[in-house]
Amino acid sequence: MIVGIVGVPPWDVMKSYIEKGTEIIDLDEPHDNIPVRDIYLPNAYCSILKRVVSNIFSLREQGRLDCVLATVGKCKCDGMRNISSWLKRTTDIEIIEFENSNMNGHGYPISTSGLPLVKKMELITDSVFSPLPENINIEYEPPVCGFWGVPPFDFKILDLFPDRTHIYGWARCMENKTPADIELECSIDPDVPTLFFTQSFCQKSSFAFNLARQHGGLYVEVDKKLSHSTKAKIEAFLEFNVYRRREKT
Amino acid sequence: MKASVLIDCGTSYAKIHYLKDSKRDIISSRHFIKNLDQYDIVASTGHNKFHNTETKINELVALAEGGLEVIKDNDFTILDCGARDVKYIKVENRKVTGMDWNTECGAFTGQVIELLTGYFDIDPGNLPETDEKIPVVCGVLGMTQMFDLISQGITHEEAFARFLRGIAFNCETLVGRPEKLYLSGGLCENKAFVKSFSCDTIPLGRFLLLDGLIRFTKSSGIYFQGI
Repeated sequence: MIVGIVGVPPWDVMKSYIEKGTEIIDLDEPHDNIPVRDIYLPNAYCSILKRVVSNIFSLREQGRLDCVLATVGKCKCDGMRNISSWLKRTTDIEIIEFENSNMNGHGYPISTSGLPLVKKMELITDSVFSPLPENINIEYEPPVCGFWGVPPFDFKILDLFPDRTHIYGWARCMENKTPADIELECSIDPDVPTLFFTQSFCQKSSFAFNLARQHGGLYVEVDKKLSHSTKAKIEAFLEFNVYRRREKT
Repeated sequence: MKASVLIDCGTSYAKIHYLKDSKRDIISSRHFIKNLDQYDIVASTGHNKFHNTETKINELVALAEGGLEVIKDNDFTILDCGARDVKYIKVENRKVTGMDWNTECGAFTGQVIELLTGYFDIDPGNLPETDEKIPVVCGVLGMTQMFDLISQGITHEEAFARFLRGIAFNCETLVGRPEKLYLSGGLCENKAFVKSFSCDTIPLGRFLLLDGLIRFTKSSGIYFQGI
């Protein structure tokens, strides 16, 4: 049996599938030889949900998907709730909906470690359905910078940041296995220069926008690939708020 | 023989500083890129940076450095209005404390204003005074409203002036509505656009990023003959 997951289904549910040896596919993530087809949703729509829906249809066509575990509550976003409802009413795809309201935190040592930011984000997304590798050093390192937000559509944006960039926002909630914990999602370190990232057309952009204003951080929204201007904006933010600040201390 | 230059090569125009005699020039980016073999690019900034350049800095850093070079105030805000986007730097006590870059919807700045003035055959220095503005949430929607106004009998000049005020209003929102705003970039030279701001505006011309590039190279200990 092959199960696709969207968001962060409850850990006890995931464990039951893992123990049965079920093949699990993260539908939020890119997969080799499965391009994202934009034909299922409007143009102006979250690119991660476009990828989710495209993955569902492509994997079904290839006979590589039996059912979808879709998180549709406060733990994900309204977009997935609506998409799940549409798929259930108009296709034969088996969709099992979950509202993951777990508030029992497992901790977030990856988010606050000194690993490269890309590595941190990969470990967090993998942690939804697999335990942490044992040979990895995830000791706490004080932050020089912050990245607030969801795992981005294009991980290349993460290459721009120094290793001691802490992860905040929903990605931290993912690691903590409390994806509906809005308090944790909105927690920031006031003294840490932070980039507030959102996918374009994501409902969480309201958090990102207002937290950036309140915190004096940089609000950045990206649709799919990182544009030259957005990359340069982030580089300048790091130059003024991280590197030059570090030179003086 | 190749000319040694510092270059701010934007989407539409390349601003050139010749190291030999410190003369400056503005040519189209397309023309500059087509004739790259005529130049030895020592340092570059702008949308089109060049990979074989010894020093490259991004536009916001160049803008901040240029502002710090040219403006003597302790606190100031500069907005750079280019062909494709707008970006700003806020400085307090001579330190950069804020910045942003309207990377996509800013597409409806220089290029479109230049296109519309040509399309309507309007003299940008001779637009009517107006307090009205079109809400330019998005450039396309803003243009639609402008054409609707024209179809309702408003003159082309009046509709265009309202469109410009809408863009200027967005720019002021982006920078946090300061009382005084320094402007740089190509739109500095568009009187209609500069007049559309409600705050005190001080145009600094089109070479500010080159000034910033020079300041940056000097402060980094990089010496070029001619700087």
